[in-house]
Amino acid sequence: MRRNRMLAVGATALLIGSLAACGGDSGSDGDGGGTSGEVSGNPWILGTTESVTAMDPAGSYDFGSWNMQYNIFEQLMEIPAGGSDAMPQAATCDYDDPQTITCTLEEGHTFSNGNELTSSDVLFSFKRNIEIADPNGSSVLLGQLSNGDDTNPGLAEGAIETPDDTTVVFHLNQADTTFLKLLSTATTSIVDEETFPADELLGDSEVVGSGPYTLAKYTPGEQATLEANADYQGPHEPSSPQIFVQYLSEPSVLKTAVENGEVDVAWRTLSPTDLNDLESSGKVDVVKGEGSEFRYWVWQLGTEVGKDKAIRQAVAQIIDRDVIAQDAYDGTVTPSYSIVPPGFGGQKDSFEEKYGEPSADKAKQILQKAGVSTPVDITLGYTPTHYGPNAVDEATELSSQLKASGLFNVKTQDAEWEEYQTLYKQNAYDLFILGWYPDILDADNYLTPFVRDGGFYANGYSNDEVNGLLDQELAETDAGTRDEIIGQLQDIVAEDVPLIPSWNGKNVAVASKQMEGVAETLDPTYIFRFWDISKTN
Amino acid sequence: MASASGSLPRYIVQRLLLIIPMVWVLITMVFILLRVAPGDPVSAAVGDKLSTEALDARRAALGLDRPMLTQYFDYLGSVVQFDFGKTISDNQPITDVIKNNGGATLSLTLGAILIALLVGIPLGLVAGRRRDTGTDVVIRLFGIVSYAAPVFWTGLMLRNLVAPTGWPSYEIASPITKFQVEPVTHILILDSILAGDTDAFLDVLQHHVLPCLVLGLLLAGVLIRLVRVNLLQTLQDDYVEAARARGIPERYVVRRHAFRNALVPVITVIGLQVALALGGAVLTEATFSWPGLGTKLIDYLTARDYAAVQGIITFFAIAVVLISILVDILNAIVDPRVRY
Repeated sequence: MRRNRMLAVGATALLIGSLAACGGDSGSDGDGGGTSGEVSGNPWILGTTESVTAMDPAGSYDFGSWNMQYNIFEQLMEIPAGGSDAMPQAATCDYDDPQTITCTLEEGHTFSNGNELTSSDVLFSFKRNIEIADPNGSSVLLGQLSNGDDTNPGLAEGAIETPDDTTVVFHLNQADTTFLKLLSTATTSIVDEETFPADELLGDSEVVGSGPYTLAKYTPGEQATLEANADYQGPHEPSSPQIFVQYLSEPSVLKTAVENGEVDVAWRTLSPTDLNDLESSGKVDVVKGEGSEFRYWVWQLGTEVGKDKAIRQAVAQIIDRDVIAQDAYDGTVTPSYSIVPPGFGGQKDSFEEKYGEPSADKAKQILQKAGVSTPVDITLGYTPTHYGPNAVDEATELSSQLKASGLFNVKTQDAEWEEYQTLYKQNAYDLFILGWYPDILDADNYLTPFVRDGGFYANGYSNDEVNGLLDQELAETDAGTRDEIIGQLQDIVAEDVPLIPSWNGKNVAVASKQMEGVAETLDPTYIFRFWDISKTN
Repeated sequence: MASASGSLPRYIVQRLLLIIPMVWVLITMVFILLRVAPGDPVSAAVGDKLSTEALDARRAALGLDRPMLTQYFDYLGSVVQFDFGKTISDNQPITDVIKNNGGATLSLTLGAILIALLVGIPLGLVAGRRRDTGTDVVIRLFGIVSYAAPVFWTGLMLRNLVAPTGWPSYEIASPITKFQVEPVTHILILDSILAGDTDAFLDVLQHHVLPCLVLGLLLAGVLIRLVRVNLLQTLQDDYVEAARARGIPERYVVRRHAFRNALVPVITVIGLQVALALGGAVLTEATFSWPGLGTKLIDYLTARDYAAVQGIITFFAIAVVLISILVDILNAIVDPRVRY
């Protein structure tokens, strides 16, 4: 059997060598960036517990699908690795005014089937996404272009104009200075109008894009194989001819797989405990980049406790985020002092400015001043099934901190994710934990969904001043002025405390020692840029 | 045999017809249970992303806002036409899910049953033959432990033990093999043989060892006990006593007469074990990230994918019934005394 294993290992090495050689033929002599030469690197394997809902950009709204789409399709704009502003990818786009954006397509871009990429494909891509309105899709993000009819969704009259093959003009139904960043998201991926049906999703294995890689083979839930796109004309040159993506069911399997070299990179999602284990083993590199994950506690203003601002402020005064980050997450997360994570324009640590160091004495003063008798009975809600076991530790830690202050009698209640969603909307908890990943890398994506008229979680918070400021920042084209407005919004949130920021997550991958380029792609976009990553011999 | 063969076809037809009400009851139960449980496919996927209004719009798009009875009869109508529809969470035809992932479950289950037979029968015979000796005690203990230990625990322990040696400890094959072997039967080990690819075959075979062993040991525990008890009873039968009385050496009595007859009930039990094996396969697959129907079932349950869960469970149920019918037929062939 040992001989068999040696044979299998030898054969695998030989196969990889052959595939590398085959992949080398996939280059082209295009005049853009991309594969204008032989792709001579080694194939490598990514392991992940993320899954793919659909390869078709009109049918997905999840990490697993979007990441594949970033590598298979082009978008008009992109956020470069480590950057925060939208830059040209398939086009150069700019605002004519806060409601009008004109894009000029780069010439020579083609899909991997040889079809030319034109403005008509762009119009088709947006139109079908909105019209299909797939229940698993993200057409909801294109509301600025839609007719607003939920029963018969469609592109608004005249929302997109294509005066010629290389020009696309977007007319938004309201001012939105985040639209260029939206044009860099996977939901705006450009698809071939001659391949994709207008009114339904295309089968996963049949997708055709113009991105750096093509989907060579896909078995749902098991494996995707990507090959360098010979016809790619964009700005990114693939470093490897072939990439395998292994979809694994369990984080423990992912840990074992990367530890034993069965996958070259493990990305999303390993627990803090597993990450620390792997880091201490020294066999692999645990690579950490900036992230944009946000974990926060929401006040339900529909309860007697939640509607009292003094109580909300007192809890914000007591919470010790450093201890939560260290004890509940083994130091793998960063304490958060604002609704907007660091790195975003206009971000300021408003909670730290207002409350300073955690203090039970100050909290007591807040409650006394408001005439609130103590101890206050408070119910904390959390779910152990959606945010992982560390959410339990976080709830336990916050509960301990509140109890230790002597100001609160805390009751913690947990529920399975599905039930939890119902319960928090039914006012079962005074304070409950939720998590967030942004759709677009803009401060507004941490503000509008959270504080406009109760937020998506319907916590009953509503503030006309906040709504007005949100409208202003979305319409403001001057970056400095917009940052000021965003700063004001964060200050109001720290004062009103409809929610309490807890921590920001990092973007973490575990890679074998042969891997290069992993650190560069780990940024708040959570795009795993396959083209930048290579494996040395 | 003549009278048995006369009633067997009628019995088979009856059993086949019974599949219809059985599947109907099962579909109805699963349909109700899934909808009674909190949540739905929309809240499972984007519950912490979208507003209540946006979530409701998605539910409406999926038809989940319609009256439950309307949804139920629509679904039944489709099933009657053998249309199980598409999964909600990843838009795959359910027949494709069964086709693409059923092969992995089949090879895992068959491999496990093979290991159970190879381990369970010899050990059961040895234990029966050496009743009340140290060997008997050790084998019985092994049987109890292997049956009682949770399959996911055994799997995790073995995986952690074996993984550092470099032996494949998860998945059904290496990425290269999965990429190279074209699915024909969707049973990867068979496809690698059909492709004439020895390296791929060895790779798939190696990947089977650990999961099949874990699931096989679970089944072996039952077999050890069964075979041992059957052998002990058979050794006390009149015909065995008669053989002994005729002066036939004990080892011949045991090997030629007792062993064979002691194994007849094993066929029946193996049939019953298939249901246990499929249940164990779900946990085994999850432990080893095995790309079978068990793993998919867990994924779809987590995603509250009603259509997918209903389709897979219905398939499991039909498979168990068909296998039990097959076992009955085998029993009738092997043992002429069997009547239906």
